[in-house]
Amino acid sequence: MLRGLRGIVEDIGGGVVFMGQVLSVALFKPCSFRSISEQIVKVTEQSWLTTAVAGFFVGAIMTVQFSLQIQQFGALGYLGGLATSGTIREVGPLLIAFMLSGKVGAFTSAELGTMRVTEQIDAIRCLGANPIQEIILPRWLGIVCSSFFLLAVGLMMSIGGGLLMGMFFSGISMQEYVRHIPTIVTSFSILSGLFKCLVFAMVLASICTYKGYTATGGARGVGRAVVNTAVATMVAIVIADWVTSVFSDVALRIVLGD
Amino acid sequence: MVEALGRKLILVGQEVHDFASLLVSAFWSSLTPPFRLRETLQQLSFVAWESAPVVLLSVSFAAAVTIMEASFHMKIVVQNDSLVPGFAALLILRELGVVVTALLVTSRVGAGYAAEVGSMQITEQVEALKMLGIHPIRYLLVPRLYASILGLMILTVVANMVCIYVAMLVSQWSLGYSSGSFLMAMRAFVGLQDLLFSVIKAGVFGAVIPIYSIFFGLRCRAGAEGVGLATTSAVVATSVTIIILDFILSYIFSFFY
Repeated sequence: MLRGLRGIVEDIGGGVVFMGQVLSVALFKPCSFRSISEQIVKVTEQSWLTTAVAGFFVGAIMTVQFSLQIQQFGALGYLGGLATSGTIREVGPLLIAFMLSGKVGAFTSAELGTMRVTEQIDAIRCLGANPIQEIILPRWLGIVCSSFFLLAVGLMMSIGGGLLMGMFFSGISMQEYVRHIPTIVTSFSILSGLFKCLVFAMVLASICTYKGYTATGGARGVGRAVVNTAVATMVAIVIADWVTSVFSDVALRIVLGD
Repeated sequence: MVEALGRKLILVGQEVHDFASLLVSAFWSSLTPPFRLRETLQQLSFVAWESAPVVLLSVSFAAAVTIMEASFHMKIVVQNDSLVPGFAALLILRELGVVVTALLVTSRVGAGYAAEVGSMQITEQVEALKMLGIHPIRYLLVPRLYASILGLMILTVVANMVCIYVAMLVSQWSLGYSSGSFLMAMRAFVGLQDLLFSVIKAGVFGAVIPIYSIFFGLRCRAGAEGVGLATTSAVVATSVTIIILDFILSYIFSFFY
């Protein structure tokens, strides 16, 4: 128990120091734009299909569940607005980020971990280059940009999935479904959903690069790093979800002024 | 062009055949003795007991977010949030508890199984099992299958309990409901069948996890990269399947409420 706790504290501390290094490299010795865009293309190409399918089904599930509850009040007209709002603000970013962490996070930490245990990272250092500048920073920025983009696309797909289910499962017309979306989904809701996406993308990128970069102990070590990445990312995303919810709640109160 | 298409079709057909034969032999050997009780219990401890802290921590945060969001929406639509406890409890019991638990267990247990079986495959331990006359599916999959189904069911019940408890705490602190009024409002919305359905869902998801992990683990090829690839594909395939199955099961259960 105590050892596990110590491991967690060590991981958090190591991660913060590592991110500080990445930040200082990003400010003083930035990597080339080309290497970032290569990473963006690679990550997006790998996972756009997964994200789109996940987003579509998350929207569909939310509509089915909401329509079951709303029917009891006879307020089926609000279905479109409520399901879309619930998906965009809360459930959509969370579940799609889970999918993405399984795909992107596992792949990146496996790749970096293999580089570490086969001493390719030490080779980069031997050549006089900075491994953080050469391989970590482009990956970090690439994952943040493309995950943010993918999560936003997933949210759009979820609206489509919800609309389709609203038509076929709940039997309300498209116009009826769309009509109440603007009354309930404010621009603030969309902003807070996108803010969540950005935070999740940064959490995901930080954890998988850190865990992969610090992998030790051969092939088994890489496997351990991959599993640890998946678990740590999910827990961190759930906690970040709560923190951003509280944050956007406070921000809304400040904006409304009460 | 046609040749390439045909070759791809044959590959896909082979994969479907492999998966179907894995399913059939898993079904057959899970119903016939010998059952490896000790191994099953060890796996159960790995699935349920060792995942419990991570799962419970995550779902309690998810529950706190859910109740805050529910109150946000209720205030917009019906101007007061007196129905929030019922709504949040319904959402937790029907969707959130079981899906978040299953996805977390996928990333921990599914990835672990795929990596384990994958390294057994590339170090030829699976071939050694076959040579000793032990069927690898019966030996590897069946204990994990039972453990995962049972473990996920148990975890889901506990996670639902913790979720509702946390939602109660949050509603008491930030929305001002006493626990008594929370439970009263909850009772009007949810019944025993909600918990029952979520346990059924957990059983189905629990069956998906080891089947995919061991399928991808047994197909693992060549070196450390192969193991990484097998792990990633197992986790992604399992997560997507869980989301799709969740949709199908929600749709089916919606006729029984």
